[in-house]
Amino acid sequence: MIRLRLLGAEESFTVAYDKPIPPQGQHTQPFWEGAKAGKLMLPRCTDCNRTHWYPRLICPFCHSTALEWVQASGEGRIHTYAVQHRAFGGWQQEVPYVTAFIDLAEGDRMLTVLRGVDATSPESIKIGALVRVEFEQANEDTHIPFWRVAEEQ
Amino acid sequence: MAANLSNAAAIVGAAESNVIGYPMELIGKRVTSLQHHIEAIKNVCDLTGIPVADIQGIFSAGWSGELAEHLGLRPRYLDTTMVGGCSFQIHVHHALAAIHAGIIDIALVSHGEAGWSYRGGGYGGGRGGGQVSPATEMTAAYGIFGAPSQYAHAMVRHFHRFGTTAEDFAHIAVVTRQWATLNPRAVMFDKKQSPFGGPITLQDVTEARLIAWPLTLYNCCLVTDHGGAVIVARPEIARSLRTNPVWISGAGESMGHQNMLEMEDFTATSASRSSATAYKMAGLGPADMEMAMIYDSFTITAGMTAEMLGLAPRGKGYTLWKEGHAAPGGRLPINTNGGGLSFNHSGMYGMQLLVEAYRQLSGTAEDGVNGIAGKQTNARTCVVNGTGGTLSTTGTLVLTADS
Repeated sequence: MIRLRLLGAEESFTVAYDKPIPPQGQHTQPFWEGAKAGKLMLPRCTDCNRTHWYPRLICPFCHSTALEWVQASGEGRIHTYAVQHRAFGGWQQEVPYVTAFIDLAEGDRMLTVLRGVDATSPESIKIGALVRVEFEQANEDTHIPFWRVAEEQ
Repeated sequence: MAANLSNAAAIVGAAESNVIGYPMELIGKRVTSLQHHIEAIKNVCDLTGIPVADIQGIFSAGWSGELAEHLGLRPRYLDTTMVGGCSFQIHVHHALAAIHAGIIDIALVSHGEAGWSYRGGGYGGGRGGGQVSPATEMTAAYGIFGAPSQYAHAMVRHFHRFGTTAEDFAHIAVVTRQWATLNPRAVMFDKKQSPFGGPITLQDVTEARLIAWPLTLYNCCLVTDHGGAVIVARPEIARSLRTNPVWISGAGESMGHQNMLEMEDFTATSASRSSATAYKMAGLGPADMEMAMIYDSFTITAGMTAEMLGLAPRGKGYTLWKEGHAAPGGRLPINTNGGGLSFNHSGMYGMQLLVEAYRQLSGTAEDGVNGIAGKQTNARTCVVNGTGGTLSTTGTLVLTADS
């Protein structure tokens, strides 16, 4: 359970995060720690300087094991998307919703549920559109990144 | 009679992961099975001087796809045989055969099992309990459930890149259904078999309920039961039996990714590579194929794979169905059993492809039970392509009949 105070509301109330919460593995702690602080952390190879996603124990490009975690810009662009009309668990209440693969500004790709789009009008969503990351608290240890369509500068 | 594989290959190095035994007691933390794998692989490559990138075949007890993806490799030989503790001796045997056959030069046999660190967990292949792969960890939150929710992303990218439409792909469902009406064992054979059976129209497909836009119900394969088996034998035996032989003229395999996160081009699969290997082995090309059996988990899978197999130009796979070439009586019959879309799809549909390809090329596709008048083609060559995972892995066969 997490406590939310809505803007302007007099009292707070509790809302349970009812969707799947990812299990945290021992190789990805810097990511989850960063997420708690509202930072998107990505693994980068210090030999070839390339960023990869998902996190690896070895650089998938040059096979160096000299990896580090760096804070990302939190910007990306829609690579492709789909509208989900069938779901289970907590996501069932959300259909239709839009899932998307995001091309990260730093390189490589992340899966998300897209925010700031109209799921009932799939053609209105544009591949290549600018998106920014935001985090939602699921429980004490887990803040989940989601991406929202942003205004082009 | 076995070919003599003696000394056809050698083990050229061996290494272990950095901390084995009781890691918690030795370094104060647990080690994951994945980490044991990756460290051992890195160490054996460092020892031999063979770059990780030069590994062509991966043999492991259930891990080969994940290891290939984690290492960023696209092996042309995958073996993930899991038969308990003797798996690794068997992997060496299989690697010996693959090297002897000239398919690969360098094979990796890998083991990683956090038997103590994550004891009592119980996950296939000795993963060690509690540890999911980092790919799963980073995709679990986002409301993706099953295959259609993922494949839809590939279809949207195909629309974007080639200007294709939902109606273009609907032709695949309509034509595949035509084949199902010639196969009494097809789930969608007729209205008696299923209230949804019998012929369908483009409109039926495009207006069916949405599963994951742009995939409607009729763009998606069935969920059914199935059992199937084939026997492969040496030519002398093949010619001595009462059945007609269908020759394995070419074979190839490859993978692009395991998790869709790693799908570099959402409009392409590794079938371009696996089919290139198979065609080369057969000494035949796409233009020589007289029919095709293509895994159609979804209409997008079939359309896109036809492009990868060289049967149609990039972006134009769907035209084979739209222009009637793939239909009964067409110049390139495709999915003559009615496909995963309308015949049968049990989850892993590759066997259904094999069975139908055998029946067509052996002249038994119209036996009254598995086919009625109009189903048997004249094809003497058939390209068969299976697609696994989420457009992840592919296996291609070029099969031929005695002419």
